[in-house]
Amino acid sequence: MGLNGAGKSTLLRCLAGLVPIQQGQVQILGHDATPRNYGQIRQHLGTIMQGGGLIPQLSAIENVLCGCLGRYSSWQTLMGLPLPEQTRSAQLLEQFGLADKANTVVKQLSGGQQQRVAIARALMQNATILLADEPTNGLDIMVAKQVMDTLANLNQNQGMTIVAVLHDLKMAATYAHRAIILDQGKIFYDGDTNCLTEKFAQLHTTQHHVS
Amino acid sequence: MDKISRLDRTPFKSLKTTLILLLVVAVYIWAGQSLDLNLQTLGKSWPYVIDFARRLFPPDFSVLDVAVKSLLETVQMSLWGTTLGALLSVPIAIASAHNVAPVPLQWAANFLQNAVRSVPSIILGLVFVSATGLGAQAGTMSLTIYTVGYLAKFFQEAIESLDARSLDSLVTIGAKPLQILRYGVLPQVMPLILGYTLWMFEYNIRAASVLGVVGAGGIGFQLKSYIDGFEYQKATTMMLVLLAVVTMIDLFSSKLRQRLEN
Repeated sequence: MGLNGAGKSTLLRCLAGLVPIQQGQVQILGHDATPRNYGQIRQHLGTIMQGGGLIPQLSAIENVLCGCLGRYSSWQTLMGLPLPEQTRSAQLLEQFGLADKANTVVKQLSGGQQQRVAIARALMQNATILLADEPTNGLDIMVAKQVMDTLANLNQNQGMTIVAVLHDLKMAATYAHRAIILDQGKIFYDGDTNCLTEKFAQLHTTQHHVS
Repeated sequence: MDKISRLDRTPFKSLKTTLILLLVVAVYIWAGQSLDLNLQTLGKSWPYVIDFARRLFPPDFSVLDVAVKSLLETVQMSLWGTTLGALLSVPIAIASAHNVAPVPLQWAANFLQNAVRSVPSIILGLVFVSATGLGAQAGTMSLTIYTVGYLAKFFQEAIESLDARSLDSLVTIGAKPLQILRYGVLPQVMPLILGYTLWMFEYNIRAASVLGVVGAGGIGFQLKSYIDGFEYQKATTMMLVLLAVVTMIDLFSSKLRQRLEN
């Protein structure tokens, strides 16, 4: 969590290996997050970018199928993906209540449906860690709750670690086990989610004094 | 403090805008110098324009069959020239795009694009006529190269406007470069690529008419022959047939482009 420009998305992109780490060290599943190790790390690392990061012109099932690209060579996937993977993608979409939207082009789906496709893609990847950058951004309250319930369910029932950038303090208090508040690229608070309102009030006061 | 800094920037911003406007005006004045514009001469030239236009009518439809035949040849030249040019443009555009290609490859591919684009179509026509002789083959080859000059640039811009987050998400999945191209880049740029190619096809029908002037086949060859022989009414028939076909293709490709965008 943090104010705009605090470095939340940058931190997530660092964890995903999209931004080079200039200082310090990142370890994921016991591996140092270096370009050499990312091939192995990414097999376990799913991401939901802001807006889902889906390919808008592909159908829902094609997007979910993309989740298994890392397991195959370029030549194996040139003409499409194997049938068992297609079956699994269809099952995942069914699990998320999107069976009837499987062949719909993603840009024609609602924001909530797109987020569920992005989550299904992470599951297709067999990810054990999911990095979600503002997964409820642009969604109405009901749909945002559905998306967060889905993520909570994955965490509780499948043991998936979820690192999410959130703006809503109440939502963070309801769903998260641990909160990190960033301020200008540094950790301002790291702890439980019971006192987020106070911590943000402190953050505002500190910023006001600085300016 | 924020308000003060915003107020400080305002006069600087308006000074910058004024300087830019002055620069633009200066560029137009500089460009107008060599045009040697003379309103008096322009006014006096109207009777000649009207006289020339009068000699174009009525159209002589006795050459309708010749017009249709040479126009079909123009359409065939344009179809092949545009298709071959579009196919050649795809790898050049990928190599030129800053978001997918390494920097040295970008430089080389951009230089190639600029080199191709800086050669006028008529020069390409002359080169291929001298290489393969008079006729449609030379025209098709010229259109192919001419198409590369433009489509490679359009395709490059289509690739550069891709949603970076969608490609990043494929990277984090562990997709290899060829998989990113197949599943991330091509699905997003294909509608744009097809749209630009259709537009280029239309454009090449008109460009092919110019190529005819240097003997590279198509309707332009016939058109120039009639104008050189002062058979203006026959030339009008050729132009009317060209207008009809270009309008029809424009209607068809507009509908197709709309469907591709949706």
